[in-house]
Amino acid sequence: MSLTPLNIVLFGIVALFGVGFYGLLITRNLIKFVMVLQILIKGVVLALVFAGKLSGNLGLGQSTAATVIVADTIVAVVGLALAVQVRRRFGTLDVPKISTLRG
Amino acid sequence: MDLLSFFGMISLPLISSPFVYLSGRLGAHEAVLHRRSYVVRGFALLAILSAWVPFVRTVTAFMAGETQEFMIETILLQVDGISLLVAGTVLTLGTLVILFSGPYMAGEAGEEKYYAMLLAMIGVMIGLACAGDLFNLWVWFEAMAVSSYLLVAFYREQAASLEAGMKYLIQSAIGSVLVLVGIALVLANAGTLDMAGVRAAVAGSDVNRWVWLGAGALFIVGFGVKVAFVPLHTWLPDAHSQAPSGISAMLSGVVIEVGLIAMLRALSVLTGLGESWGVLFLTFGALNIVYGNLLALRQTHVKRMLAFSSLSHVGYMLMGLGIALTSNVELGAQGAFFHLFTHMLMKGLAFLAVGALLYALFLQNDSHAPLAISDLAGAAKKYPLVAFGLSAALLGLGGLPPLAGFMSKWQIFVAGFESQSGWIMALMVFMAFNSVLSLAYYAPLVNLMYRGSPSQAVTAGKPVSAAISLPILLMTLAVILLGFFPQVMNWITRPAAQSLLAFFGN
Repeated sequence: MSLTPLNIVLFGIVALFGVGFYGLLITRNLIKFVMVLQILIKGVVLALVFAGKLSGNLGLGQSTAATVIVADTIVAVVGLALAVQVRRRFGTLDVPKISTLRG
Repeated sequence: MDLLSFFGMISLPLISSPFVYLSGRLGAHEAVLHRRSYVVRGFALLAILSAWVPFVRTVTAFMAGETQEFMIETILLQVDGISLLVAGTVLTLGTLVILFSGPYMAGEAGEEKYYAMLLAMIGVMIGLACAGDLFNLWVWFEAMAVSSYLLVAFYREQAASLEAGMKYLIQSAIGSVLVLVGIALVLANAGTLDMAGVRAAVAGSDVNRWVWLGAGALFIVGFGVKVAFVPLHTWLPDAHSQAPSGISAMLSGVVIEVGLIAMLRALSVLTGLGESWGVLFLTFGALNIVYGNLLALRQTHVKRMLAFSSLSHVGYMLMGLGIALTSNVELGAQGAFFHLFTHMLMKGLAFLAVGALLYALFLQNDSHAPLAISDLAGAAKKYPLVAFGLSAALLGLGGLPPLAGFMSKWQIFVAGFESQSGWIMALMVFMAFNSVLSLAYYAPLVNLMYRGSPSQAVTAGKPVSAAISLPILLMTLAVILLGFFPQVMNWITRPAAQSLLAFFGN
């Protein structure tokens, strides 16, 4: 596999997904969770532009990517706001320690 | 073409949402706090009632056979049977919930945010049902998700609500990332995201079938988090039981069903694979029904029990859709859509009635304790209307004739036998047994309310106001009348079923 620009982008997408999904598995901290989610989303943004380029419809790929960035910022803001409230109420950000609802 | 009313149906709730919020914020002075609450409630009710006008006009235009499309650059919105069914369902429950929330949420801190988010969620769900391209669908879906996170964690000083909101956010956010990966896969191979365009591209492409199956799998897992397919359901009982009761009704009654509609729309663009999705729907349907029932059986809190029963009711809908997709029986999809509507009525009624009791027994006595089943003992004497409504809802959910829930389950059942396939018929028998099993947790609650001696909580309970009773009364009547006249919904469930089958190209 030669190092063409397209291959570099593909490698970037796979790397971001790899880091993101591995992070999801090991993260226990709420703030870190939001960060990991952002890494995953950046992989998706890159993938959308890449998909647009591959299919010869680059404009569509770029416009969807821009919208995803906006939409996901809102999710991150809500997630961080929840994290602030959780820290105030529980005194910790550790997800397993917060779980009280069962069954 | 009546584009203005189509546009108004989606945008009226959306546009009024910030104004409702502002009307609550302006003049936020302690002395006028009480009066301000009336302004917010009145404004929200006015907004949702005014959305009915464009809805009725859109329905009339649809019945007259006009095609209604709305195109802004490449964003396509269109009306078909499914969008009208969803819009009608969402508006019905939304109106009743806003009416119910008036006294229920009165005086809560951030009341104006509650109504603003609720109106936004209603508008977004109607928009989602009309979305005509894949990415547009995702944006509506994400907007619906964000407004529901905020509503679930509305009691932000309650630890349990925060925990439920957090679980919901984590799982849904991962789900929507997976949906986006699926969309990128479709874009890379089809070159467009417009649903009709993708359908044409998929049908004529020589791309490996596994690519489309992979995209579909990502859609199923991604949207499946919202629909609460069984291994992905763990957020549901927490979120549905910790949210304010009106929101529990919205979440169980429409939000998870709208997620299902979004999944159907996304899957429908991958033509020629309808049968594979049908088999998956039947499998997940059976799993959801039995798992939801078994877990609901061992719950001690009323709202948690209702939340688990939502799992099994999603299962019934999946069964109907699965029958339609595997064996091309239109009645299956019609039954599923009818069940979507009756489930909205019954589960909405159940959550509102439980909410009314929770409000009378606990919230008015400044307690945020969950309502246990044993607390409802003997409630029928003190709260005859609410107890009757709750009983009608529970027995309807359990599928007792002649209530609405029986009719919709029966339609799915008949469709299953119409398919004449051995294993679908076996599944139908399994479904019928499960319906009986579900009575094992619905019936004791009814029995307890009517025959138990009043619990401590009931004796200390406050009266239920008329504004809370009105939506309960209306829904009780609807649940009973729909059981006697199920054919009144055919005008909308049939076109919805037809557009579904047309999409999947069967």
